[in-house]
Amino acid sequence: MWSFILKRLAQGVITVWFIATATFFAMHNVPGDPLLNDRAMTAAIRANVEAKYGLDKPLGEQYVIYLGNLVRGDFGISFTQENREVNDIIREHFPVSATLGVLAVLFAAAGGVLWGALTALYRNRLPDYVIMFFVILGISVPSFVIAAVSQLALVGVNAALGVTLLPVAGWGTLWHMLLPALVLGMGTMAYLTRLMRSSMLEVISADYVRTAKAKGLPAARIFTKHQLRNAILPVITVLGPSIAAITTGGFVVELVFAIPGLGRYFVQAVQQLDYTVIMGTTVFYGAFLVFMVIVVDVLYGFIDPRVRMQ
Amino acid sequence: MSEQKDLLVVEDLNVEFDTYGGVVQAVRGVDFRVAAGETLAIVGESGCGKSVTVQSIMGLIPMPPGRITRGSARLRGHEILGQSRIDGREIRGAQIGMIFQDPMTSLNPTMTIGDQIAEPLQVHRGLSRADAAREAIRLLEVTRIPEAAKRAKQYPFEFSGGMLQRAMIAMAIACKPEILIADEPTTALDVTIQAQILDLLQELQAETGMAIVLITHDLGVVARMADSVAVMYAGKVVERGSVDDIFYRSAHPYTLGLRAAMPSNDPALKQSLQPIEGSPPDLFAPPPGCGYAPRCPHAMVVCESQPAETPLAGTGARDHAAHCWLHHDESPMKPAGLFFRESDASRNEKFEGGSAVEEGRNESRR
Ligand SMILES: Nc1ncnc2c1ncn2[C@@H]1O[C@H](COP(=O)(O)OP(=O)(O)OP(=O)(O)O)[C@@H](O)[C@H]1O
Ligand SMILES: [Mg+2]
Repeated sequence: MWSFILKRLAQGVITVWFIATATFFAMHNVPGDPLLNDRAMTAAIRANVEAKYGLDKPLGEQYVIYLGNLVRGDFGISFTQENREVNDIIREHFPVSATLGVLAVLFAAAGGVLWGALTALYRNRLPDYVIMFFVILGISVPSFVIAAVSQLALVGVNAALGVTLLPVAGWGTLWHMLLPALVLGMGTMAYLTRLMRSSMLEVISADYVRTAKAKGLPAARIFTKHQLRNAILPVITVLGPSIAAITTGGFVVELVFAIPGLGRYFVQAVQQLDYTVIMGTTVFYGAFLVFMVIVVDVLYGFIDPRVRMQ
Repeated sequence: MSEQKDLLVVEDLNVEFDTYGGVVQAVRGVDFRVAAGETLAIVGESGCGKSVTVQSIMGLIPMPPGRITRGSARLRGHEILGQSRIDGREIRGAQIGMIFQDPMTSLNPTMTIGDQIAEPLQVHRGLSRADAAREAIRLLEVTRIPEAAKRAKQYPFEFSGGMLQRAMIAMAIACKPEILIADEPTTALDVTIQAQILDLLQELQAETGMAIVLITHDLGVVARMADSVAVMYAGKVVERGSVDDIFYRSAHPYTLGLRAAMPSNDPALKQSLQPIEGSPPDLFAPPPGCGYAPRCPHAMVVCESQPAETPLAGTGARDHAAHCWLHHDESPMKPAGLFFRESDASRNEKFEGGSAVEEGRNESRR
């Protein structure tokens, strides 16, 4: 198990290095100039600023410096926000995005497993049809529509009740997080429900479930020990990519619900060609996702002995 | 032949399945009985309803699409169809154990072997986790799995097929059932392993006195294991009797056909294999008469239109019965190779002392 984890970690480091390299060269090849803005910029000032950011050095040298800083965990200074360190931006805003993301992933995973198992158990009966209708809705409607519509609905509900059931936007308490997290996790929940349904249907007719019945076990025990645990395996494998989908989807949801997450800064930075912020957040997100995928793999190993032993 | 002696009595069992193509009448009036401690073999070609029969008894038929439309199965006189407990005890797992054809897929891949064997012990006998785990190891030893304590902690993928079938057997006999149903337990295993598993079943039977219902395609396995035999064809039992009845006094043309299609490894009896021409009837619309009639070399007009209810009785040690019009009093012929009631006296002497199990050869008419 330990060698498995170490191997995955080593692979993760290589992946992150690859992401960092790709981002670096991509950034230096996009047209435009981060120093071009409305402020008057004389040649002298420009040279000064370029020297400050190391932009006057040859690209190869910049790359080496950049990697060296990365290893030390230093993402540099923002171009557009004077003297603000990228590390500070991440430190301040990432926890917000992460909380939202984690909550959304929990919603998606728990909901997907629950609804998926239900649809399989009630296959071709009313609960199956109803849930699958919402699943198709959840998969096909983009998250910004769901976000806006649910926000609108919440406004209506709050107005009708005359009290604030849940805050409509903003950040701070758990109550602020519920709706955005649910909206953010919705698409993934729908996708996981579908996956869980087919996996559960397969498991229901599996030979080992027949064996469990032949042993005379109570239905509840067959469900938890023999069906659920095996049916959940495919769901766990896609949990890694699902986390990626949810975190990237977070950018939009953060905007709609006015949540001070990292996503907003990222979008802003792209618009302003803020090299260091873009590279910093991209590499950071990349590393975070790689780490989550490894966590999921290890988790999978705990549930499926066949993976653990190899 | 008395009811008391019979542990399990199945009568007129009818099972059908709804499918997109219509209703499949998979089992159409199956009768058989199993005495305590004996081995009953159920033989017949693929699709004749062997698995459906035993799965109905075990309550393993998926409903829907399956349906038991008629019949009864009584364990020690208690009806068990549709029941989960009799005599205050769970039937499945506790009173009847079952093992399946493919041990590779019949065990839960994410649970240790030991835990899977311990499960019925905890559920049916109320053993504590620790006691059940200890008993599971003992059961693995009983089924001759080396290093049982270590093996109990392993997962199915770490076992070979033969070892898995041993573990399945350990699980099935954990609560000391009176009957073990084995649905083609060796079909998925290679030949040497097959023999070991069959030996194990026989040894366990000798130790525990449980009855075994063994489903197989292999008449060699029947000769080796069975006390009595039920021959199934197209959802019905066409002939039943002791193993000697079936091998030496075959009374149904289908039984004879099966025997002729069985390979013999005795060079002295060198004979070519004779496959049964044709294929079984469509169970969506089973024929009104004998299902075997279209393939039967001796079929008469009546065979096609009416089922033969004329059993041939009282020849061997147990009731020997064949559903075939040739045994009717007015039947115009008595084809060579088939056993007929009239010849009881003269033929029976010849078989005294001689056992089909040892000789396993075809009888020849003279
Ligand atoms: N779930 C099901 N749905 C529809 N038809 C079924 C179902 N299970 C079995 N059958 C039908 O019942 C018939 C008998 O099947 P069964 O599995 O009992 O045959 P078998 O004698 O065990 O054959 P084999 O030797 O191949 O195992 C077959 O025609 C099969 O198509
Ligand atoms: Mg079968």
